[in-house]
Amino acid sequence: MASTVGQPTVAPSRAEPVVQRQRRLPGGNPWRRPWGMEGFTWLYIIWSILPIAIAILFSFNKGASQATWQGFSTKWYIGKQVTSVLHNPGLHHAVIQTLVLAVLTTVICVPIGVAFAIGIDRWRSRTSNGLNFLMIFSFVIPELLLAVALFLLVTQALTFIRLGTPAEVAALVVWNISWPAIIVRARLVSIGRSYEEAAADLGASRLGAIRRVLIPLLMPAIFASAVLVFASTVDDFVIVEQLSSTANTQPMSVLIYSNVHGGLSGPALNALATIMLVISLVAALIGFIGYRWMSRGERTKGGAEALTGIAGM
Amino acid sequence: MSGGHVKLESLTKRFDEVTAVDEISVEIQPGEFFSLLGPSGCGKTTTLRMVAGFEPPTSGQVQLDGIDVGNWPPHRRNVNTVFQSYALFPFLTVAENVAFGMKYKAVPKSERETRVGEALELVQLSGFEKRRPNQLSGGQQQRVALARALVLRPSVLLLDEPLGALDAKLRRTLQVELGALQEHVGITFLYVTHDQEEALTMSDRLAVMNHGKIAQLGTPEEVYNEPADAYVADFLGVSNLMDARVEPGGNGQGECHVRLGDFILKAEAGQLNATGAVKLAIRPERVQLHSYEASGTNRVPGMVERLVFLGSTTQIFLRLANGSALQTLVRNDGVDLPFSQGTPVSVSLPAEALRVLPDPGVSVAEIRDETLGEDLLDVTSTITS
Repeated sequence: MASTVGQPTVAPSRAEPVVQRQRRLPGGNPWRRPWGMEGFTWLYIIWSILPIAIAILFSFNKGASQATWQGFSTKWYIGKQVTSVLHNPGLHHAVIQTLVLAVLTTVICVPIGVAFAIGIDRWRSRTSNGLNFLMIFSFVIPELLLAVALFLLVTQALTFIRLGTPAEVAALVVWNISWPAIIVRARLVSIGRSYEEAAADLGASRLGAIRRVLIPLLMPAIFASAVLVFASTVDDFVIVEQLSSTANTQPMSVLIYSNVHGGLSGPALNALATIMLVISLVAALIGFIGYRWMSRGERTKGGAEALTGIAGM
Repeated sequence: MSGGHVKLESLTKRFDEVTAVDEISVEIQPGEFFSLLGPSGCGKTTTLRMVAGFEPPTSGQVQLDGIDVGNWPPHRRNVNTVFQSYALFPFLTVAENVAFGMKYKAVPKSERETRVGEALELVQLSGFEKRRPNQLSGGQQQRVALARALVLRPSVLLLDEPLGALDAKLRRTLQVELGALQEHVGITFLYVTHDQEEALTMSDRLAVMNHGKIAQLGTPEEVYNEPADAYVADFLGVSNLMDARVEPGGNGQGECHVRLGDFILKAEAGQLNATGAVKLAIRPERVQLHSYEASGTNRVPGMVERLVFLGSTTQIFLRLANGSALQTLVRNDGVDLPFSQGTPVSVSLPAEALRVLPDPGVSVAEIRDETLGEDLLDVTSTITS
């Protein structure tokens, strides 16, 4: 502050202007705690989690209110006759229907998606380049559009696919195929071709190399994508809403939606939503742990891949 | 295990516009240790991949024991590869890795275990059967890769820079072991490397490659002592290259007179019948330094630019009066060197060590850049594959 050009400062005060200059850096101290960003992050977390937490809380309400807390109880899950999730046929059937759809979709979707990814990545041709687009299909097309289109298809043209579970599964497979395709392809790219070449060199045919070497190497990615397909099917609403037929083929999401404004309301719906959330969370958790376990001992840790995969859900 | 005769005939590989391998023809005898040496991007790996079956040739033939296998898939060829990355299967144990290929070679189950044991013993890895590849060091992984290929008793073993990922000291040890192993098993080895020391120490014969062509083919001694051109001379160890012109006065047979700046020198090696612009090469260990005042034949005045202590020797960088840069090696035998930076010296270039090489039409600096190679080129060849 005091030293200007041509005016040499005395030795003892030399340290001072240096400190001063540091304080006046344009953006301040870059190593200080980012209070602003941190606070905003917490606000965001609270904003997104609080309503869910309250909804979960009221599934344990003793009374029938979704707004006034009247004490803790699990009666909306198992205790109460007729209207609890366990004893109401409509509610517990919805849970079963959700699980059936999730399992069937996963079992059908993942193998097709894996084959799709291998096809696009390993057999390069003009066709595979064009099909590359299909892989991001579900990110580009609005879900409702696909749901309505498929509804028309199965009711007008492909009538052998009955509305209800078959149509729901078919549509969910189409909608979710991108998960295995993209995740498995990412891993295909990262593992490269040298393992397959080594297998071929040791005498394995093309299919033999895929079966004995490629598939085991892809297992973590296949598993992670299976979990994502499962969780995303549990959460799905638009497609199953369009393609369910009777109350028997309505999964949890549809039931909650159609009852939340009138109809069968009350904490039992909260209980149903909580079950849906727990299924998704458990699937995600299993997926994350399983992925880490399967890809253990690999030099390039797959943690980042798994994280992005789970986060995309 | 019989056979192992490899014959490449006008073998060519083009990737779109790039010619990676350009009509090379080589014959490798059964049981020979043959190296392909060259900087990254010279086509050596592509050549190996065509022998292995990972790349179909654009034209030409790959003959294994007299049969053209150019378009056969890799699994039908009786050759095995040790990859630069090893490519060990991470989900299998060492024993399972080694046993992988035997399933396809109709080896009876009872015999498989014995052969795995033998192969691991051969590479000194007995006792490691149950480990996984990621629990092994780089050198051990390399040995597993070797065992996995050798257990199938191929007629030719292909090695793609197998020591490239290891540190210098381990590389030296494994060079010796690999050479001994090859003699022991008697299989034809086709070895690809960019390391001239590896190629010189292990090979029976080697081919120096440049721009997809073979620049020189011969025994390590021939290629090192009598390089065919400036490129080979520079690639095989540090070689001093100088621009010069042939002067009349030589007899074109036993000796040749060359002009280096203001000085006329006598050269007795290389292309003595050359005319016009040439390159002169001399190995650093053949260059002698004398005090500036001393006189003698074939001497050029120069100046010491830099001294680099290497341990057993000291490397001396010189600048000659005509501007050429030169290196020499002086043994350290306990006596202080009479040179330091800036000392004027008289540089003796013995006529019998001074080699006349045809002028490739490029400067010495450009040759040097080329022989240093660019790793990027190797990456492109992998991508295009």
